Amino acid sequence: MTLADQAASPAGPTPGAITGLSEDLAAASLALARRFFAGGTMWCASPTWPFHANHVAVEFVHPVIVGKRALPAVTVPPGEDLVATLRATTRTGDVVLAVAGADDEAVASAMRRGQAWGVETIWIGAGPRPPAGAANHVLWLETSDPLEASEQVVRIYHLLWELTHVCFEHPGLLKPQETDEDCTDEVCITCSDEGRLAEVITVHGDEAVVRAAEGRERIDTSLIEVPAPGDLVLIHAGSAISSLDDPSLDDQTGAKG
Amino acid sequence: MTDFLYPFIEADERDPVPLLADLARSAEGKWDQSTDLRTRTLAACDQQLRTVAAAMADRFAAGGQLFTFGNGGSATDADGVAQLFTKPPMHDSVAGLPLPARSLAADQAILTALSNDIGFDVVFSRQLIAYGRSGDIAFGTSTSGNSDNLLMAFAEAKKRGMLTVGLAGYDGGRMAASDDLEHCLVVRSDSVHRIQEAQTSVAHALWGLVQAQLRTREEVTV
Repeated sequence: MTLADQAASPAGPTPGAITGLSEDLAAASLALARRFFAGGTMWCASPTWPFHANHVAVEFVHPVIVGKRALPAVTVPPGEDLVATLRATTRTGDVVLAVAGADDEAVASAMRRGQAWGVETIWIGAGPRPPAGAANHVLWLETSDPLEASEQVVRIYHLLWELTHVCFEHPGLLKPQETDEDCTDEVCITCSDEGRLAEVITVHGDEAVVRAAEGRERIDTSLIEVPAPGDLVLIHAGSAISSLDDPSLDDQTGAKG
Repeated sequence: MTDFLYPFIEADERDPVPLLADLARSAEGKWDQSTDLRTRTLAACDQQLRTVAAAMADRFAAGGQLFTFGNGGSATDADGVAQLFTKPPMHDSVAGLPLPARSLAADQAILTALSNDIGFDVVFSRQLIAYGRSGDIAFGTSTSGNSDNLLMAFAEAKKRGMLTVGLAGYDGGRMAASDDLEHCLVVRSDSVHRIQEAQTSVAHALWGLVQAQLRTREEVTV
């Protein structure tokens, strides 16, 4: 009866063990509330466990507590090309939430494009963590037991919903935030040194039309190798200054080989 | 000028740090409540879970299949349970036995056709009329225990000789009181979210017990 004994024993972490996770949840909830407050939509995907994506969406659209506002959350149907669907449907200011393992290539690819699409990304999962910076918010569980992970993932998105609604009681914190330093293009350290991420839509000789958080723009690509639609590039002052290889593909093949 | 006395209730609240600390503490408290409810529920349902698992294993061993159903979040739980039974993960380094299971909440063409033409109360019972056979299992999940369409499905399932298993919250509602349910597992809480979380654990425990039952039987017969 090992399964029964295992099932009957408390599997949750000991009190305090989710300290790091609880702080990540708090930050994700405030960010999510701000996006909703500004009119964003949350796109929910879980290629391996589509019922989790459905559960998140119904949670936000039809709250269990009477009187809580209905918030726009949408399930991305499983079986579709996740990146293609999100590319077509997301708008700047939206949120993409995924429930998936770190080895989910489609989710990793979608998350990498978050900045180019102007969306906030939330990645919920368990087991080995995605690399640092894989999403704006990584809400991760230590367990590698698939059933325990599935149970605790439900807790995470229930708490995300509960905390997001607490944030709505603090309207002052939901308004657009004033940045510390005024960002004036060329002189801003955060923009000019790093460049902005953009996704190539179409290529026209030495130029390309790209999608960046601020919208579509036409850029010069003569400084880099000819890009292909879907490539991610760093742009600065109207030019692509470097092309980003898709490490999600390389890493996965390497890991599997 | 009383903002400094009540910094958190003003519309011009600016510093998110106190709120973030409150949110994190709230998350930790609720996480512990969920863990506690899970422990209490699995302990309280222990004998009942073993009985239900044995009855379900009997049905599976004889070629029966599992139909899961529920509304809203419970519909997603029904999908999850069906996926767990059909495509089980590795557990204890042992691959689970795939078993025939299907969610009656998953087909939008059937759900909308029945809702539009007859009414939402029959969305599960009419599917059981089409699919269900004596020897099959009806497994319905509801947090309130009061959903009309679940109660109608259980009545239909019982009439057809199926094993009827319910998973409810609060005090079990009408599901716990109904003669149409052979077994009703109840998560005793009044928070919908905490109920759903513990219900997921109950379903997982039930799956583990069914797997253990079937494996034991195979070892005996081989």
